[in-house]
Amino acid sequence: MESRSSAPTNRTQSKSRVRISWIVLAVVVIGAFTFSLWPRSGPESIASHTARLSREFRCVDCEGLSVAESATASARAARADIRSRITDGESDAEIRAVFIDRYGESVLLKPRGDGIGIIVWALPILLVILGGAGLGFAFARWRRQPRLDASAEDESLVAKERDGTNG
Amino acid sequence: MKATLGILALAFGGGACVVGITSLLLGLQRKNDALLAVGRKCVAVLLVSALAAVGIMEWALVSHDFTIRYVAENNARSTPLLFTITGLWSALAGSILLWVLILSGYIGVTVRHFRKRASEPLVIWATIVMLGVALFFFLLVLGPANPFRLVAGGAPLDGRGPNPLLQNHPLMAFHPPMLYLGYVGFTVPFAFAMSSLITGSVGEGWLADTRRTTLIAWGFLSLGIILGAWWSYEVLGWGGYWAWDPVENASLLPWLTATAFIHSVMVQERRAMLRVWNLSLVIATFCLTILGTFLTRSGVVNSVHAFSESSIGLWLLVFLGVCAGAGLALIAWRGDRLRAPGRIDSMLSREAAFLGNNLLFVAFAFVVLLGTVFPLIVEAIQGKQLSVGEPYFNRMTIPLGLALLFLMAVAPALPWRAASGDVLKRRLLLPAWVGTAVMVLTLIFLDRSLPTALAFGLGAFAIAGIMRETFMAVKSRRSADKIGWMRATGRTLAGNPRRYGGLTVHLGVVLIAVAIAGSHTFGTKQEIRLAKGQSAEVAGYTFTYVGSSKSVTGQKTTLSTDIRIEQGGKSLGTYAPSVSTFPNSNQAIGTPSVRTGVLRDIYLTLVSSPNKTGRVTIGVGINPMVVWIWFGGALLAIGTIGALLPSVRRRPGFRVTGEAEVEAQSVSVS
Repeated sequence: MESRSSAPTNRTQSKSRVRISWIVLAVVVIGAFTFSLWPRSGPESIASHTARLSREFRCVDCEGLSVAESATASARAARADIRSRITDGESDAEIRAVFIDRYGESVLLKPRGDGIGIIVWALPILLVILGGAGLGFAFARWRRQPRLDASAEDESLVAKERDGTNG
Repeated sequence: MKATLGILALAFGGGACVVGITSLLLGLQRKNDALLAVGRKCVAVLLVSALAAVGIMEWALVSHDFTIRYVAENNARSTPLLFTITGLWSALAGSILLWVLILSGYIGVTVRHFRKRASEPLVIWATIVMLGVALFFFLLVLGPANPFRLVAGGAPLDGRGPNPLLQNHPLMAFHPPMLYLGYVGFTVPFAFAMSSLITGSVGEGWLADTRRTTLIAWGFLSLGIILGAWWSYEVLGWGGYWAWDPVENASLLPWLTATAFIHSVMVQERRAMLRVWNLSLVIATFCLTILGTFLTRSGVVNSVHAFSESSIGLWLLVFLGVCAGAGLALIAWRGDRLRAPGRIDSMLSREAAFLGNNLLFVAFAFVVLLGTVFPLIVEAIQGKQLSVGEPYFNRMTIPLGLALLFLMAVAPALPWRAASGDVLKRRLLLPAWVGTAVMVLTLIFLDRSLPTALAFGLGAFAIAGIMRETFMAVKSRRSADKIGWMRATGRTLAGNPRRYGGLTVHLGVVLIAVAIAGSHTFGTKQEIRLAKGQSAEVAGYTFTYVGSSKSVTGQKTTLSTDIRIEQGGKSLGTYAPSVSTFPNSNQAIGTPSVRTGVLRDIYLTLVSSPNKTGRVTIGVGINPMVVWIWFGGALLAIGTIGALLPSVRRRPGFRVTGEAEVEAQSVSVS
C-alpha cells in the first residue's frame, strides 16, 4: 500500500491529501472541458469546411464510401462543387438541399432526424436509458433485499433434500 | 470426375450428420452405449468427408479444372498459386465449403476433448446440436451453394479468375480463414448452451466447459477483423481501414456480443447470477454470425463482399429463425430453473462494472445492427432509399466507445462484491492524474476536439491503471517470496494468466482505440500533380516523381510510378503506388504504397496515370498512428493466448504474513 505508516494522524493526513488531490483533479478536468468547448476564434478554413461537409455525402459511384474518402471522378467533382459553393457563401443546409435534390435523400450518410429517420437516432438512446434505468432499479431492489436470507422455497428444497437422503 | 467425388464426399458428410444425430438420440433414449459410440464415430466420418471435399476443391483449383463452374469463375490459368489456393474462399460456394470444414474441425476437436465424459447427457446433446448445425451447412453446399456444379456446355479454355481485389494481396490468405475460425467457433458454446437448457443442467458447468473455446473463437474473430482492416488499408487504396461497410458491421456484431459475454460469464462464475442473460448472449452471438452471413451473402445489401445473389438467403433466414426461436423457447421452458437468488452488493464493485460493460456493448451492437439493416427496413416499408454511413456510426459509437474506455480504466481496480471508497480513491488517483495530464496536453498542444482528447486521456488512464495494478501485485509478490523483480513478475503473471492475459488484451484494445482517434483527427489528405522530375511538398515531406514503369504478367498489367520521399533533405526512400488492370475486369485496381512509421504512415496512391504531357496525379495521405492498430491487434492476440494458459500453482511451503498477504490477495486474486 502507498501509506503504510501506523500513526493515526499520518493516516488522516494522507487521507485528506488524497481528497484534496481528487478535488484538484476534478477542477482541472472541468477546466479542460470548458476550454475545449469554448467557441473557437476565427472562421473555419475553406479546406477543412469542405472536408467536414463532404464526409456527410455518399459517393454515388462507390460502395459505402463518402465523397471525402473516395478518389473517383464523381467524388472529386462533388468535392470541387462543395468547395466552390462554400466559397460562394452558401450555407451547409443549402448545399445539403442541392445534393438531396440532385441524388435523392440516400446521398446523406447520416439520416435526417425528421420523419422515419428519427427511429435510427432515438431507438439506441432509448435502449441505453431503459437499460440504465433497469440496472438502477435492480440495484435499488438488491439494496432493499436483506443479505443472505434463505427463502421459504430454499428452506423447503433443503428440507426435501435432507429427507431424501435420510429416507 | 472431381465434381462427382466432391459431391459424394459432401453427401457422405451430410449422411454422417443424420446417422450421428439419430444414433445419439436413440442411444440417449435407450441408454445404449454402442449407439452412442456410433454417433461419435460419425463425427470422424464428418471430418474426413469435409477434408476430402475441400481437398478435391483445392485439387480442382490447382489443376485448373474448368469443367467445374466454381473453378471456371474463380480461377484462371494465369492466377498465381497463392490466389489459386485462396480461390476456395473467393466466392460464395467455396467459402461455405470452408465454413463446413472449419465447423467439422471444431466438432471433431470438441468431441475428442470430451471423450472421457462422452456418456454425459450435456456432452451428447451438445454433440447433437453441433451435428444439427453441421447438417444445415452440408445441405447448403449440397443444394443452393454447391461448389461442385458443372459448367453448362463444354469447359472453357480458360477461367475468369478471381475478383481482382481478391488476388492482389497475400493477406487474402489469412483474413477470411481467421474470420471463419472466429464465426464458426461460436457454434461450440452455442451448442453447450442449448444442451444445458435441454438437459436442465443450467448451472455453471457448461460455462467452464466452453470457456476456452469461446475465448479461442473470440481471439480468431478479433484477429480476423483486424486483418480485414489491414487488408482494406493495404489494398483498397482509399486510405482508411474501416468504412462501416455492411460486411464489416456483420463481423463486428458477434464480436460485440461475444465480448459482452466473456465479461459477464465472470459474474455468473462467481455469483451464479445472470444465467438467462449469458445464455441469451451466447445464442445471440451465434445467431448474429448467421445473420451476418445472411446480410452479406444473400445480396440484400450491396457490399464488396456480397458475392452474388442466390437463393441461399432464404435458407439462412429460415435457419436463423429456427436457432433464435429454439433458443428463446428453451429459455422460456427452463425459466424456473434459471432464476438465481444472487444479488450484487454495491455499485462500486467488479460485478457492477461488468453489468455496465454489458449495457454498453449491447447498445453498441444494437447501434451497428440498426444502422446496417435500417436502410433495408425503410426501403421495404416506404419504398424510399436511405443511407446510413460513417457519420451516423461515428456519432453514435464514439460516446459508447469513450464510456467503455472509462470502464476499462476503472474496472480492473474494482474488487469483487464491494469496494471501499477510500481504497478506490487511492488506487485510481495516480492513473487518473496520468490520464488528466494526457488529456490537458492533447487539448493544449494537439487538438481542441473533446472526443479526441478524451480518448487519449482515458486511454492513458486505462494503461496507467493496468501498469499500477500489475506493479503493486509484483511488488507484494516480491516482498512475500523474497525474490527479485524479474522472478516476482514471472510468478505474478503465471499465477493468474487469465487476469493478466485479459489486461494485455485491454492494453491492445486501448492502443487500437487511441490509434483510431488519432488517425481520424490528425490525418490529412491531398492530391498532387507532378511532371517527371518535379517535386511537391505536403506536410513537411517532399515528394518527387522519379519515373514510371510497366510490367505485364498473365495475371495482370501493372503501371507503377516511383515517388521519392524526402524530409529535410534526407531521403526516406522511393515508393511505388501502382494501378493494375486484370484481363477479367474493365475496372483498374489501384494499389497504394505505404511508408509505415511509428508516428505516421505516408500513404501514396496513383490517382491518374501519366497523361499525354507525362503528368501524374498522386494521392498523398498522412495517416498518424495507424501502425498502432496492428500492434494493438498483436497484443490482443498475445493476451488471448495468455488468458488460455493454465495457472501455475505456487509451490507448497509458500508463506506470507500480515499485510503483504492481504495486499497480494486483494490485488492478484481479484
